[in-house]
Amino acid sequence: MLELGAFLRLMTLPVHLLWLIAALPLLAAGIGALTPRRGRALAAGVAIAAMALSFLLSCAALATALAQPAAHLVHNFAWFDLGLGPLRLGWLLDPLTAFMCVMVTLVGLLIFVFSVGYMHADANSTRFFCFMSVFAAAMLGVLIANSLLLLFVCWELVGLASYLLIGFWFHKPAAAAAAKKAFITTRIGDLGLLLGMLWLYDSTGTLLFFDAGNGVLEAGALGALTAQTTIGGLAVSTAIGLLVFCGAIGKSGQFPLHVWLPDAMEGPTPVSALIHAATMVAAGVFLVARVYPLMAADQALAHVPIHALTVVAFIGAITALMGAMIAVAQNDIKRVLAFSTVSQLGYMMLALGVGSWVAAIFHLLTHAFFKALLFLGAGSVIHAAHHEQDIRRLGGLRGPMRTTFATFAIGMMALSGVPFLFSGFWSKEAILHAAHAWNGSSLPLFAGLAAVVLTAFYMTRLVAEVFFGAPRSEAAGHAHESPPTMTIPLIGLAVGAVLLGFLGTPAYPWLQARLLGETEVHGHSLLEGGGLMMLSIVLVALGIGAGWAIYWRRLRATATALDPLERATPRTFAALAARLGFDELYAATVGRLSNATAALADALDRHVWDGAIRFLARLGEFTGVVSRETDEDMLNGGFDAGSESLRGTGKLYSRAQTGETHGYLRVIAIGFVLLVLIVMMGGGQ
Amino acid sequence: MTPDYPALLHALLPEASLVLGALILLGLDLVPGRGRTDAKRMRTSATLGLVALAAAVYHSIDAGRGGVAFAGVLILDSLALGTRVGVLGLAALTLLLMPGGSRIRNPAEYVAVVLFATAGFTLMAVAQQLLLAYLALELASLSLYVLAGFDKTRPESAEAALKYFLLGGISAAFLLFGFSLLYGLTGSIAFPDIARHLGGHEPNPLLIVALVMVLVAFGFKAAAAPFHLWAPDVYQGAPTASAALIASASKLAGFTLFVRLLWSGLAPAAGSAASMEGAPGWLPVVAIIAAVSLLLGNLGALAQSNVRRLLAYSAIAHAGALLLGVMAAGSAGPAPLFYYAATYGLATVGAFGVISVVERAGPCQQITDLAGLHRRSPLLAGCLLVFMLSLAGIPPLAGFFGKFAVFAAALKIGGLAGPIGWLAVLAIFLSAVALYYYLIVLKQALVAAPADGAPHIAVPLTSAAALAIAAALLLVLGVFPSLVLRIVQ
Repeated sequence: MLELGAFLRLMTLPVHLLWLIAALPLLAAGIGALTPRRGRALAAGVAIAAMALSFLLSCAALATALAQPAAHLVHNFAWFDLGLGPLRLGWLLDPLTAFMCVMVTLVGLLIFVFSVGYMHADANSTRFFCFMSVFAAAMLGVLIANSLLLLFVCWELVGLASYLLIGFWFHKPAAAAAAKKAFITTRIGDLGLLLGMLWLYDSTGTLLFFDAGNGVLEAGALGALTAQTTIGGLAVSTAIGLLVFCGAIGKSGQFPLHVWLPDAMEGPTPVSALIHAATMVAAGVFLVARVYPLMAADQALAHVPIHALTVVAFIGAITALMGAMIAVAQNDIKRVLAFSTVSQLGYMMLALGVGSWVAAIFHLLTHAFFKALLFLGAGSVIHAAHHEQDIRRLGGLRGPMRTTFATFAIGMMALSGVPFLFSGFWSKEAILHAAHAWNGSSLPLFAGLAAVVLTAFYMTRLVAEVFFGAPRSEAAGHAHESPPTMTIPLIGLAVGAVLLGFLGTPAYPWLQARLLGETEVHGHSLLEGGGLMMLSIVLVALGIGAGWAIYWRRLRATATALDPLERATPRTFAALAARLGFDELYAATVGRLSNATAALADALDRHVWDGAIRFLARLGEFTGVVSRETDEDMLNGGFDAGSESLRGTGKLYSRAQTGETHGYLRVIAIGFVLLVLIVMMGGGQ
Repeated sequence: MTPDYPALLHALLPEASLVLGALILLGLDLVPGRGRTDAKRMRTSATLGLVALAAAVYHSIDAGRGGVAFAGVLILDSLALGTRVGVLGLAALTLLLMPGGSRIRNPAEYVAVVLFATAGFTLMAVAQQLLLAYLALELASLSLYVLAGFDKTRPESAEAALKYFLLGGISAAFLLFGFSLLYGLTGSIAFPDIARHLGGHEPNPLLIVALVMVLVAFGFKAAAAPFHLWAPDVYQGAPTASAALIASASKLAGFTLFVRLLWSGLAPAAGSAASMEGAPGWLPVVAIIAAVSLLLGNLGALAQSNVRRLLAYSAIAHAGALLLGVMAAGSAGPAPLFYYAATYGLATVGAFGVISVVERAGPCQQITDLAGLHRRSPLLAGCLLVFMLSLAGIPPLAGFFGKFAVFAAALKIGGLAGPIGWLAVLAIFLSAVALYYYLIVLKQALVAAPADGAPHIAVPLTSAAALAIAAALLLVLGVFPSLVLRIVQ
């Protein structure tokens, strides 16, 4: 025990070296980019080694941060001088950053290992590991940034990596389209973030989060931001906070910009697990948690029309409920999980909105593990069943894929919130309690409770359809367990999905206390607020029971048989299966408007601007030709003719002078006289 | 007061090491070098030259920012330090490129003259007095005339040298006449004294004639229109290394001297560029020269089919932008101008370096001679891409930030209103035009197929190193411009 303590004290990472955490995967990406296609083992090995080192560094960073949890350790430096002063960037180390870094590197490491097995048949896996490393570097950059600008740069790089990886199989039209959709949809939100960032810089003159009292998240700047009001009586901090939140809406797949996330499942499954379940989509939640002082700055104001966090709470509640509803009627194993992710991200936003950002981060961390687990389990199934993803055509996989089934079941129970043993239960409880304690409105709490039932229900349906009954296609019939590179990460994630919950139980909320910068942990009995806990346990039981009654008792016999819910309420089911028509709605409104604008711009470009440009180009060309003709024919002409006909250098000299140098001298003289005249006349006025 | 000779020696050690190095390498070449092959003599001379340059860099940094020296004849400020290191570095790159370039006869003499020219440049960087300024300028110019005509096997080289010499002589006469008028009007040849004497007086016609004469001479040195006519011929005819030196280090040193003379010697006679009315001065003249250079350089470059002439017209256009930086130096300081000139020099040395290596395998005059360079030598094509895009001002390369810094400084003087604002807008607009002709070169190098039978180009190690250093510097300085801006501010 003594050695362990000494070892832990040795594990410190000074904040000025924090960049190493993000630099290592970036280096791996560089090496991967230069590796030829046949060097797959090298690319994968370097990526995994970099990730493992980053994980160790993150652990050291966590130890450093936990030694003084209340401090925001920063290292700021000037990037370059711009305008009135230097543009400064920096790194930030606090428990929030450290916990997130450990999670991203650990989950990332497990998923990288899984990918070795999953991608081994793909000819381009070198490129895959390169992109994955780029993603990891950018994501870690988002986490360690102490400047909204640096965060924004990494944020966009994360989006780029996501685009590249969703479209990794770009020869599939659906994948190419999904990549484009993801990129464009999130850009809409990023525009808000950019505007918010510019406004913030305009109002405070800095973008550093913490800067010895001068940062935007410190009292001075926040006081100034809440003191001013803008259109509609909003405090400036509210307006900026909502604009920043737009970025989070896009990235975290919140209503109304959630439409890209399910389509993003066209990417390889490890990508879905890492980027579109565990880390990148949670970046929006992290962003709001990071700028929480800014988001919450308007809470003290009484006479404002709306508080920024209220909007966050309602968006989160709507998303949580809507995602869970749509997930009920999806038939693609990854789409079910994708809508479940949308719904769970909604929970996290809800928690942020009702004032408990630590509950949101707690749920983010547990969700990262069990959702990555579920996605990798789905990947294992898809890998075994020769890329069959339709749950109606799977079935009966419990026997041949025992490890996958066992770990998937753990993930399912964690996500459903099965009591006590599973992490998802504790983090979801924390959110529901926070929603209950909120004095704004009780609607978010009701939405959250309804989503609890639905979540348990659709997860039961998913497990019943995939793992029980008889195989309903040839591919499912031939399935067998995946190789150890895939099952070992599953086991690792399953362990995390169970254990992580105990870091934050109400009896001993260690994680929450450290995030809040407290060194003492104040637990309370589980019986406090036990009523709500009992209610949610009942709701989970209700959801699982309903799923059991509908799907488990009467297992599906053939792939073409109608879903029991579809038989009962065909219209509702069809509407949910069609994702409530958001895609069609957007295509009919925004899409059509954009197409019309594009057509107009095209016409203007073709006929109006192009004509003008061509005219200018002709004019430029004409001037150029005139200039060259003057230069070469009039001035050089004599010389060229001379040198063509005469060889002797002595004669050449004389000819050279008479040919052109006189001309040059004349121009100098004329220029001199003209300039003197201009200045004299200009001065005389 | 008695001059402080030890301090003078300390301040001039860089020039002393250059001259000593030149003499030593001439001596070595004369006796032990006799009978050796040209390639061997070239390698020895270039190595010795690099050693001399390194010593000069060391002594420049050692001399540091000591302020005025030798009764105010020299000034050692951060601009002087930056310019000295800059021209020494550019000269070193030129020397590094020489062994891998086209063959030069009598290489030791060539390197020695390069060192003399460089000594002239470093003196221009520290001069704070009319006489020293003139002498430094003439030392540099005379060396450059020799360098332009060094290739005695080609009549074009002789033509270029003669033309450069004749026009240069006339411009030197203008400069000397202008300087003597300034001395006559103020009774002093030290920049600060001149400024003091000009301060109390209304500008008279004689002063205007003197100012314009000085500006004509500097316009000639900087290849600014309408005094640019020598540039295309010289760039085309001179040996490639000479053209590289004329286009890079010479420009940097010239602009440093220019901005020092104008703002520390003639500032009271600046007049106003914010409007053409009011007291006459040199600012409106610079504005006119800048506008004409921008227009003629960019539009002239569009019609070029010869890559060297294209670089010459591009140099004229960049001179226009640099003059904008000169005007802005009064309020924003010389840092943007210095950054622009130094990074422009890097990109130009690099571009001429690529040409000099291509020349080993065949002539490189027409743009089409570069066709298929990506096949013939991917390294050269990649470096050329960096140099051309930097010249065009594409981020994240240094050329972009140079343009940005200069234009931003110019716009800060009076916003969009007034001639300087219009000039900046014109410069920004013409940058778009410039992109076209740079891309024409890149299209040949990167897209077009090589001509039939065009050989693969082997890039010598020294040239590869020089090109890689230049390209890497352009990238690094583009991302971290403060590395340079910090030194000069």
